[in-house]
Amino acid sequence: MAELNPKERVARLFRREAIDTMPCFSGMGMVTIQAIREMGIRFAQVHTSAENLAGSAIKSAELFGFDSVVIPYDMGTLAEALGRGISLYDQSEDILYPTVPEKWGDLDEVEVPDNYLSNARMPMVDEGFGILNSKSNNGQFAVGAWVLGPFTFAGQVIELDLLLKGVKKDKERVEAFLTKMTDITIEVAKHYQSLGVDYMTVREMGSGTDLLSPRMWKTLIKPNLERIFAALESPTINHICGSTDMIVEMMNDCGADAVSVDQKNNMAESRKKLGNDTIILGNFDPYGTLCQMEASEVEAVIKKCIDDGVDAVWPGCDLWPDVKDENVKAYVRTVKEYGKKASPAVGRLT
Amino acid sequence: MASKEEIFKELAEGVVEYEEDQVREAAQKALDEGIDALDAIMDGLAAGMEEVGRLYDSNEYFVPEVLMCADALYAGLDILRPHVPEEDAAGKGQVVIGTIQGDVHDIGKNLVKMMFDVGGFTVHDLGRDVPLENFVKEQLRTDSEIVAMSAMMTTTMLGMKKVIAMIKEKNPDVAIMLGGAPVTKDVVDLFGADGYAESAGNAVSEGIKMIGRLRELRQKEKQS
Repeated sequence: MAELNPKERVARLFRREAIDTMPCFSGMGMVTIQAIREMGIRFAQVHTSAENLAGSAIKSAELFGFDSVVIPYDMGTLAEALGRGISLYDQSEDILYPTVPEKWGDLDEVEVPDNYLSNARMPMVDEGFGILNSKSNNGQFAVGAWVLGPFTFAGQVIELDLLLKGVKKDKERVEAFLTKMTDITIEVAKHYQSLGVDYMTVREMGSGTDLLSPRMWKTLIKPNLERIFAALESPTINHICGSTDMIVEMMNDCGADAVSVDQKNNMAESRKKLGNDTIILGNFDPYGTLCQMEASEVEAVIKKCIDDGVDAVWPGCDLWPDVKDENVKAYVRTVKEYGKKASPAVGRLT
Repeated sequence: MASKEEIFKELAEGVVEYEEDQVREAAQKALDEGIDALDAIMDGLAAGMEEVGRLYDSNEYFVPEVLMCADALYAGLDILRPHVPEEDAAGKGQVVIGTIQGDVHDIGKNLVKMMFDVGGFTVHDLGRDVPLENFVKEQLRTDSEIVAMSAMMTTTMLGMKKVIAMIKEKNPDVAIMLGGAPVTKDVVDLFGADGYAESAGNAVSEGIKMIGRLRELRQKEKQS
């Protein structure tokens, strides 16, 4: 049996072509504290330098055998480029992700600058992708990028409660605002694709049914996601965390190549609903599994994801960087060994 | 002249239907009719919020609706609260509340705050993205019995552990409540906290159930 390199393995998975074994990868951040320590830097330093950003992704993948490298890590790069500022917590010794301090207080205040792709840390992220691409020419890693979905991104730049109440009380203006956020999402995602990334995840994480009704999801979220996936090149992934059981079929109708959900989803049921042709990714709790559990418990969690019908085991969110060494090793080992058998949508090379 | 029950019903319905104007009018009417303000809060506004909790639990209402109901409740509370007699308002206790540094999500926190406001607590709201030591300073400054912290994301949750240790070291009797999406019973036990709500949604359910218990207690107090 031919052994594929990570880049080929991931590419073939999204084309639903037979692979040698399940890749161990994600569409979200996989940076680990072990990599950061080995580089001799602090977590706060990875967000502001292309070398540290790309270097920590590569180092994490090398240390543990991940098939992918994914940047950036924080959700504030684009909001910052739109002029909303950034809190980097750069004096902190702890693991604190950057956040957006100044949201627009009202829809009337929203003003999008023309040059946002070249503002703030956006060029640094581009440079990071350049480093990742140059280091993965030999197929050593698949390079992943992600953008927030328009509703989640909107919540980064405007008060979320204004948005949530606005969808009921001020529907037209909120919809127009979300259309604008969708245009921005498409432009950024296309820009990353133009840099040569191997797959693109759209994270509409704030839109699960913990917050929105399925009906609201259908009218407010779905049309914008459909427009995004129609505008992007394959492969694309539609990721939502939180409660997704009631919307997973609509997620699959948005036009992405794969659907990704977190541990709140009933995966076995989702597989039944979506059938065996759909690529489904998920769905373990990264913090619980890799930071809290005993290493001996990890294998069962990963096996359950595979037995429930995922085509690749994805964490439900970014890995929390302070992972236990042995837990990550058990996760990677189980994915690669137990993932040798075919998954519902993706066969195996014989 | 509207009866007491009719006014309570108007208040409750106004909360459920998120009609802020209706709630304001009914609250004013309650005062004009000489109805006890705390009764109007508990049997009108809080009763309406209990119905909202039921609608939320049965997936009829989601967070947008609950937020609007909360606005309607506050519209009434702003009018009624100043008229609650000192002896009823006092002694309910004080709470320090905020979202932890690194976290700018505060919907769950605001819903829990509403529960304390309805319950008559004095709430010291530190807002969001609050540096850890500020929770400790504010607890010491106000001598609050409860500190409630929220973290929407795993990425900020660990800060809670430090705050709990700092507060318990200075004052072991303070009750610590944690809330937020990544917070589970295991995390609460591990961090040494006293209670939790796992999401904005859970804060809705749990917070409103606590309002229900406050109403029951008040009924018992009145009967005895």
